[in-house]
Amino acid sequence: MRIHFSTILSVLIASFTFVACHKEADDAIDPNTKNSVSIQFENRVGDQKLVLGTPAYKNAAGEPFGITALNYFVSNIALKNEDGTVQKFPNQYFLVRQADAASQIITLKDVPSGNYSEMTFTIGVDSTKSVSPVAERVGALDVTSYGNDGMYWSWNSGYIFLKLEGTSTAVPKTTNANQAFALHVGGYGGGWNGAAKTVNNLRTVTLPITTKATVRGNIAPEIHLFVDALKIFDGPNKISLATTNSVHSPTVATPIADNYKTMFQVDHVHNDKQ
Amino acid sequence: MNRFSNRLCFLLVVSGWLVGCQATEPDAQPEVLFVKPTNFPEPVYALDQNRPTDAGFKLGRALFYDGMLSRDGSISCAECHNQAYAFTHHQHDVSHGIDNQVGTRNSMPIQNLAWASDFFWDGGVHSLDLAPIAPIENPVEMDEKSTNVITKLRQITKYPPMFKAAFGTDEINGPRFLQALSQFMLTLVSGNSRYDKWVRKEPGGTLTDDELAGLTAFRAKCSGCHTGELFTDNSFRNNGLFIQGSKDEGRAHVTELAQDRYKFKVPSLRNVEKTLPYMHDGRFYSLDAVLTHYAENVQKTENLDPLLQQNGRLGIQLTDNDKRQIIAFLKTLTDDQFLRDPRFVEP
Repeated sequence: MRIHFSTILSVLIASFTFVACHKEADDAIDPNTKNSVSIQFENRVGDQKLVLGTPAYKNAAGEPFGITALNYFVSNIALKNEDGTVQKFPNQYFLVRQADAASQIITLKDVPSGNYSEMTFTIGVDSTKSVSPVAERVGALDVTSYGNDGMYWSWNSGYIFLKLEGTSTAVPKTTNANQAFALHVGGYGGGWNGAAKTVNNLRTVTLPITTKATVRGNIAPEIHLFVDALKIFDGPNKISLATTNSVHSPTVATPIADNYKTMFQVDHVHNDKQ
Repeated sequence: MNRFSNRLCFLLVVSGWLVGCQATEPDAQPEVLFVKPTNFPEPVYALDQNRPTDAGFKLGRALFYDGMLSRDGSISCAECHNQAYAFTHHQHDVSHGIDNQVGTRNSMPIQNLAWASDFFWDGGVHSLDLAPIAPIENPVEMDEKSTNVITKLRQITKYPPMFKAAFGTDEINGPRFLQALSQFMLTLVSGNSRYDKWVRKEPGGTLTDDELAGLTAFRAKCSGCHTGELFTDNSFRNNGLFIQGSKDEGRAHVTELAQDRYKFKVPSLRNVEKTLPYMHDGRFYSLDAVLTHYAENVQKTENLDPLLQQNGRLGIQLTDNDKRQIIAFLKTLTDDQFLRDPRFVEP
């Protein structure tokens, strides 16, 4: 009986120590311990959820509009640790589409443990990748993969970085009988083979992560972004659908790129233990 | 020493075997599909990344002639790119596509593309591999989504084995589809005209006195733009056409720069006898009309090329004799071997 008790006791002590040790190891910042970080893009229109087909959102110009498509490329993501080191995720390109819920969560793998306090990313496809060999254009970059929802200009080689399409009663029927609008932004500053460079509408977004994303062996943080489509019309530039409703070339798209650069913010971070 | 001689012996045996192979089995070499004519410069296309193979070429050729690349199956690449006319559209000023719709530009010949740095009249596409997307997705040409093309190809039983032969597995995807088309198009090298044979001092390379005089006149009057053995400097220029019809702004459509308005690609003149009609909108039906334009009708429009406004005169000074002789020379650029090459016909 005594033997039995001491055995149980030692087992209990051992297991307690083991659990404690294990817990400590998980919570410690060890750069060799990695986990994934996911980023969720929640598209909104002001303080409303973005739902495709909803007819009556209203922009800063007071124009009612509905959205049929919102797509954008996100690339060159980097996370800045509180110690100042930057973790880059090169050669990863993501296409976020409102019509595809799965595309709205991006997962970055093998992120070293640390407390991340800032993130940056490019909206669009950088110039290097925009002129890369076609064999390297796989996944989101496959120019033949977009179906009817094209994200590539075939007549002026280059990706469409962001597209917003919909309808608005502000669009004159003389311009478009269905009062549809299409705002397509591209233009990576190309100048192939020595030619003059075209407009560069690549934009980099830098966002503070106030509640740090704490990557640990047992924590895979989820950074939750709010993406406000209203900002496409109302950032540094005021865009009215009555006059700007068909944008399909880099130069005229620049004010829109300057606007959508401001539409992202980190709302909260989930640092739940696994 | 013993070891050394052993090694030497081994090397001699191996090299002897190699030489023996080469000497006795020359026919075992695979057919070389892409050959740079000796009088041509080095190609621009990165051949090391996508060199034509026999299987890739055959797949590319099958795709080139397949109407499935268009929305309703009616229009293949060959529709607007006919071998007999240096792979351009004959008897149509501007391209004709699906549902008998017409575009705004004359289809360009497909030849010597390994030496091209920009594609289409405005140079909007910078890689041969990306060029086919433009006609496939153009609503007045093939009006199809490339995604649908890939989906359709997967359902045609002949294609998976062809992709496997070309790329190792039977997966059909966008990059492979585009690379196969490039492999076919890269092999469309025209470098065996009578002029080429004359340059290379090969049998059959004779030019008449008129043709030689035409070459001299051509070098003096035309080679500022139609440079070198490809007869183009690959630049974009405003050649003073009267602005008519679609009022196409050319290169500026892509660059959005005012200095590029009304500039179009300087086309190659190889096989020019067969590539009528001429200019970006196919407005001239004969070489004589083209030369008459340069001699008499150059318009002082925005960004007119400086070469066409020299010594206080618009255009190029050409006598009727100059024109006749230049045209005689231009016809020596016709490459019948290329235009009739049985490898390039519909499979």
